[in-house]
Amino acid sequence: MDIVMLSVGILSVITGFRIIISRSKAQKMLYVCCLNFCVAALIALYIKSPMGAIASIAYFIGSTISSNAIAHTIGEMKKIKDIND
Amino acid sequence: MEVIELIKLISASIICWINFVIVDIYFGLPKKPGVSGAEVIGNKIEKIGGNINGGYFMGNIVCSPDASAGTLMASIFYYVMGLKGGLIASMLIFIGNRLCNDPGYAGTIGAITATILLYAFSGIIEPKYFIGGMVIAIFTIQGLYHIGASKLLGNLAKKLRMI
Repeated sequence: MDIVMLSVGILSVITGFRIIISRSKAQKMLYVCCLNFCVAALIALYIKSPMGAIASIAYFIGSTISSNAIAHTIGEMKKIKDIND
Repeated sequence: MEVIELIKLISASIICWINFVIVDIYFGLPKKPGVSGAEVIGNKIEKIGGNINGGYFMGNIVCSPDASAGTLMASIFYYVMGLKGGLIASMLIFIGNRLCNDPGYAGTIGAITATILLYAFSGIIEPKYFIGGMVIAIFTIQGLYHIGASKLLGNLAKKLRMI
């Protein structure tokens, strides 16, 4: 295993642990974004073909859209809570 | 031999960091949150003691593929397809930006500048190191220490007079 894959793998494990440990939902979103970068890079490094790059970009765009939706939902939930308080 | 690889990886991560931070600040990511989710993340970062503009920057990265995603995708496509791969990546990032309800200039321009940088350094640093370097660069911002990173980004945006 070469040094690039090894370092990306170590960083993804560290980020995964930090997602489990952190309490705040907003900070969890930041760690999830970092993990998405790691997974997209690992897909492309493992499958060294144009199809691997397509799989990587499809994963990345899809995960960003879902992050966008989750963050938007957290914002709307906060607004509802503010009205009720 | 491994020392040379490590030096290549670290220098690639510095190049990627400078590329995506400058392009993102220039296209106004720290100025205002693009969607309501980015605003939540910015307010949270300010509450735990960081800078609000740096928080908006980090929230916007989460909510839409911007220059950081553009740099990663350009290096991945350059790695598998060569120079024309970088241009394909910038087009796909533009589509992703439009899906996330973003104007899409930061991501596209970031991918194009990353392709130019990859071409310029192609004899010295291979594209493989840029993939790892971009992951390290995003880890220093989103995964290491949010308060310090947001303060650094806020100060940089102020120095470049973009707030």
